[in-house]
Amino acid sequence: MKPGLVSSWFRLFAVQDSWNYERMGGVGIASALEPLLRDLPGGTAGARYREAMGRAVGFFNSHPYLAGVAVGAVAKAEHEGVPAAQIERMKSALTSSLGSMGDRLVWAGVLPLGSGIGLALAATGPWWIGPGVFLVLFNMVHLALRIWGLRAGWRSGTRVAGALASPLLRNGLRVAGPLAGLAVGLSIPLIAAWLGAGFAPLAQVGVIGVVSVGVMLSLWLAPTLGGLRFGLAVGGLALLAGLVWR
Amino acid sequence: MTPLQLGLLLVWGTLVGVDLVSLPQIMISRPLVAGTVAGLLAGDPVSGVTVGATLELFALEVLPVGAARYPDYGPASVAAAAVAAGGDVLRGVGLSVVVGLIVAYAGEYTILELRRRNSQVVRHRTVELATGDPRVIRAVHLQGVLRDSVRALLLTAAGLLLAGLARGWPPLSPRAGSLLDAVVIGAGMSTAVAGTLRTAGPSIGLKWFAVGIAAGLALLVLR
Repeated sequence: MKPGLVSSWFRLFAVQDSWNYERMGGVGIASALEPLLRDLPGGTAGARYREAMGRAVGFFNSHPYLAGVAVGAVAKAEHEGVPAAQIERMKSALTSSLGSMGDRLVWAGVLPLGSGIGLALAATGPWWIGPGVFLVLFNMVHLALRIWGLRAGWRSGTRVAGALASPLLRNGLRVAGPLAGLAVGLSIPLIAAWLGAGFAPLAQVGVIGVVSVGVMLSLWLAPTLGGLRFGLAVGGLALLAGLVWR
Repeated sequence: MTPLQLGLLLVWGTLVGVDLVSLPQIMISRPLVAGTVAGLLAGDPVSGVTVGATLELFALEVLPVGAARYPDYGPASVAAAAVAAGGDVLRGVGLSVVVGLIVAYAGEYTILELRRRNSQVVRHRTVELATGDPRVIRAVHLQGVLRDSVRALLLTAAGLLLAGLARGWPPLSPRAGSLLDAVVIGAGMSTAVAGTLRTAGPSIGLKWFAVGIAAGLALLVLR
């Protein structure tokens, strides 16, 4: 195994520690890349190491779980002596593709999928099962993605586009969204029955009314009126009404 | 609640706040997890999972992409669980969740401020960073996570303070309490539905979402 790969993998968990509007995740990428560059010709005192680190710390952004693809690919390219301009072009191309893929696969797919399953189990099982199953399921995919990403990047170097076209990733992207929709859909009636247990008929009508108005407003006025602001507004009004209605 | 329990909640809130923004991003910051563990620490895991699940419905609309602004539901769930602990499990969700939503909303602004401060540091150290000195890179990076830890700690402390005030709130009448519960649960479910339809895509998402709803209803009938 390439020296520094394990250290780099662990550092990738902290890739967004210094996220900022200037370079976004650039500093984090440099931090994760550093162990893989130590054995460049000349070592850590050499010019190639310093130049590579100076390049790495520039602007970069991607989904945090797929950042390893970029770290591995850049490290390999630096070891192969690929010209700096070509490395910069590769990083630039990876910024948009890794961001878009990760957002669709994880934030819009695996996360709501796990959350939907967790909610359904929380509504129907003992208190620990929903959160427990969610954490295990989500992190199985999460850790697998991180391991695959760094290894794929290191194996591929400048040919990293081929790794991103892998059937596993493509199929994952295809099914993640529909499965997330299915899981959240499944959880909604179960959660409604659980949280609404014992509600008077009038309160049940109230829940249905708030859901209908909330969905319409959220879809119509998004992103100005998100669910948080809607919840705060109607919750605040209900609280005020509760003070008067004694 | 004992001082030990408050201390543990403060530590847990800080950990989940840092998990969302910095590391290790294993999703202990999700309300379902953060709320349940907070409930356990406060001696009432069932109330914890109940408010956690309700706040999870709100968190389903959040896509924490790139430079997007998003609420911090981790410390929010800790505060909500602190309000709910020891009370009636299903009744009284409303006030706990309102407290959670206020903390989550405040958390959004703390994340913006954190990023602004990180940007200032990077701007000030532009020349040093360009040299590729790993000590400078490590220092900038470590300062980022330390700053985030302080942010999460302060947010959790403020949330627990608010939770203390809410626990002392004059009790609502049964009808008013029921109204608040119904409104908050309804708002959470509407957020989950609208958020899922937006993120999964209106055409494909709607079809599979409808299949899921049908399956959920069938499960309810069969149970």
